[in-house]
Amino acid sequence: MIVLFAVLFILAIFAWAGWANWEYRQQAAKREAATMAASSGFAADPDTGTVVFHSALTGKPAPDFTLKNLQDQPVSLASYRGKAVMINFWATWCAPCKVETPWLVELRNKYAPQGFELLGVSSQGDDVTPKDKTAWDKDKVDIAKFAQQEKLPYPVLLGGDGISKPYGGVEDLPTSFFVNRKGVVVAAVMGLTSQSELERDIQKALQD
Amino acid sequence: MIRLKLHIEIAIATVLIAVYTLPALAQFIGNSPGRSLQKAPPVRFVYPEQVHISAGKPAAVALHFRVAEGMHVNSHTPREDFLIPTTFSIPAGEGVRLESASYPVGSDISLPSAPKMKINVYSDEFTVEARMMAAPGNHLVKGVLHFQACNETQCLPPQTITAAVDVVAK
Repeated sequence: MIVLFAVLFILAIFAWAGWANWEYRQQAAKREAATMAASSGFAADPDTGTVVFHSALTGKPAPDFTLKNLQDQPVSLASYRGKAVMINFWATWCAPCKVETPWLVELRNKYAPQGFELLGVSSQGDDVTPKDKTAWDKDKVDIAKFAQQEKLPYPVLLGGDGISKPYGGVEDLPTSFFVNRKGVVVAAVMGLTSQSELERDIQKALQD
Repeated sequence: MIRLKLHIEIAIATVLIAVYTLPALAQFIGNSPGRSLQKAPPVRFVYPEQVHISAGKPAAVALHFRVAEGMHVNSHTPREDFLIPTTFSIPAGEGVRLESASYPVGSDISLPSAPKMKINVYSDEFTVEARMMAAPGNHLVKGVLHFQACNETQCLPPQTITAAVDVVAK
């Protein structure tokens, strides 16, 4: 009798442990989903159902920054208030970035008369830091060469890694943020998409 | 006597059942709710952990690396000037010198959005043949693989990983 009671007691503990584990995992999954909703990540677009990148900055003011262009002149995002802006994080070593560059040139030229500008923010990656002058200078030469080859009509800014954190920790390239005339982020894309999708987000920035 | 024997049997049964239920409790006590939000490293060093070579003579050591599923890294000869090649090196002062490194021939791929742009890459597994010269003794060599990884639509920054190999030279 005692043996039976002991066995049943132990089995009850086992069952309780299993239920508690399941319950804990359910709660943790809910917390994780809430965290993802509050931060950048991928989610299904409510209109199309396709998986799209969602930035935590969407609907919020774009973090201001000042970076130097290829002529070593400071350029600040705030100076573009009143214009729709696409902040495009890219790098010379990024093949998908090179693929989308002709699209960016075409779209920038098409919508510039309507008050649109594109800022090409070069992100060197962990390899290159300002302390490493040789590598930094080489990177600048590579960027300038690329800008000349592609005939980029928009400002190319250096040191994008320095503003990565306020933009959600940009690592994957290309990543772009679309800012309306009031300085609010209205859309974001991560990775190579399509010219039509980029154009749709530019139009959204111009409309809002 | 019979009672004592019964009590011992009960005690043993209880301990055995408790031991088997502990893993279930450990799952609950543990603080790992599920999958990590961290990305897996795009490349990792697989093997060897230890090699035996002759001291003072160059010896070829095959270093095996694995690329994460769905990703690729530029080969040592990536075709486009702007792409960062995969390279292997051994820092000075580790008792082992890298005489040369031979890299495999990569595969040509193109991005779906740019079928005309060819890039030469490594995916799945690849092996770097490192010719090493070691002084006599045991050396923990921390080789450095430098690479830049992408998938079809996006790229990660260039990065390095350590290929730690215990080189025993006699």
